[in-house]
Amino acid sequence: MESVVITITSGKGGVGKTTCAANIGSALAILGKKVVLIDGDIGLRNLDIVMGLENRIVYDAVDFIEGRCRLKQALIRDKRAAELYLLPTAQTRDKSAINAGQMVRLCDEMRGDFDYIIIDSPAGIEQGFHTCLAPANRCLVVTNPEVSSVRDADRVIGLIEAAEKGPAQLIINRIVAARVKRQEMLSTEDITEVLSTPIIGIVPEDENILTSSNRGQPIVMNGKSPAAMAFQDIARRITGEDIPLQPLRASGSLLQRLFSRA
Amino acid sequence: MVTIKGSGEGLLIHFGEELWLSQLRELESKLQSNPRFFRGGQVTLNVHRLSLSRDDIRRAQALLNKHGVTLQAVLAQDIHTVTNVIELGLPARLSETESLRDILARAKPSKDTQALPQGPAHMRGQSQSGPRVVEGDIRADTDIAQDAGQVIGQVEGSDGLLVRRRVRSGQILRHPGHIVVLGDVNPGSQLIAGGDIVVWGKLHGSVHAGAFGDTGATICALELAPSLIRIADATRISRRHEKRTKPARPEMALIQDQEIMIVGWQAK
Repeated sequence: MESVVITITSGKGGVGKTTCAANIGSALAILGKKVVLIDGDIGLRNLDIVMGLENRIVYDAVDFIEGRCRLKQALIRDKRAAELYLLPTAQTRDKSAINAGQMVRLCDEMRGDFDYIIIDSPAGIEQGFHTCLAPANRCLVVTNPEVSSVRDADRVIGLIEAAEKGPAQLIINRIVAARVKRQEMLSTEDITEVLSTPIIGIVPEDENILTSSNRGQPIVMNGKSPAAMAFQDIARRITGEDIPLQPLRASGSLLQRLFSRA
Repeated sequence: MVTIKGSGEGLLIHFGEELWLSQLRELESKLQSNPRFFRGGQVTLNVHRLSLSRDDIRRAQALLNKHGVTLQAVLAQDIHTVTNVIELGLPARLSETESLRDILARAKPSKDTQALPQGPAHMRGQSQSGPRVVEGDIRADTDIAQDAGQVIGQVEGSDGLLVRRRVRSGQILRHPGHIVVLGDVNPGSQLIAGGDIVVWGKLHGSVHAGAFGDTGATICALELAPSLIRIADATRISRRHEKRTKPARPEMALIQDQEIMIVGWQAK
């Protein structure tokens, strides 16, 4: 088995990288794939919280790299799916604790054992980002439909191309069809015009995300909310299935709510 | 003699056969007379056959650093020079555009230095490693088929950089001649040219034409809406707030009466 290493990044913070990593990873595992999620945000770890696995951390990636434990001891198995693992990172250290070469070796160590290795990159374009980019076979760039996050995505896509890790694929996160219609929010076309990057998924704004993150229950694991379906589609596109992008429907209509509850 | 050429991102500085110190003095006067063009730039030195000691290279690096310029690689044909550069462990940074890589890829390896790292395959994933030393001569493809028609390019033509892609936020193109971009120039990017700038696409970044002081330089774009326009020493800030008529028409920026004017594109 040759793993695909997918790095999820954005440049700007707070656009939903960790949410995307948790949900895409979980969705791939639900599809029967063997998945490990790596938290690349050393010192500001969140992926364990969003996954609801915070209390199970004994060792982390930095412990493994510095020789204090074996890899198997640092990996946390998520029992909600058949083969889903989290490799948490250290909260008490900073980005200098793991360099690019070590991240590449860490991924090489797991390459035979997983279908997908998903790395949740930190915000920014500094060392932490480059460390997470180094082992990547594919890069997913998360952006929100607003000018500043699109500008940062543009910068990051340029860096991904320069590192010969391109072409990046884009996730447009937290879009609200009604606000796009009122021209308060950038449309997919507006974003494509600036970035000219293939889109792998469009995730609608969904209030269930907040509660699911707080509860440590990735939204794809329970429910058919609009965002959950969008993440499931992204996971299937990653596996190579040809699923056309869903045209945005103005959410909030009675019909939509009825369907999403079904 | 010291000559400066553009190479996508970063400049290529060629050195002649003269004494190293006198050539460094020549470089210094060039750096001093055009600080705006060089500051913040990255350069590659092509020292051709010169045999340089570590001190020689250090001196060049210190001079560049003093003027806010980073030394990113040294091209050399002399084995001792190559060894000295490697041993110095100069800070080198990976260029953010393919252009430098293309040039590095074109560099022909020479026989006596085959043991040394060279070529793009070795450079992947080495973004923060030591200095890059690449062998061989670099020359642009200048073999243009000449047909029987009238040749006018030889009169008015000069060096240019052609970029066939989108220029993204945070990317800088710097060239002593003209810059032509086939694609959009995104907000947050920067073009700096000694000559003219032509953008076959939307120009939304910051641009500086005539960076060596040529007030006759112009900037043309299919959609001219840069965040900042500079021609020679004149500056004009964003016109993006101005109401744009859609569809945008090709326009040209030029200096008239010491001010930057923007006029509709008129073929001459």
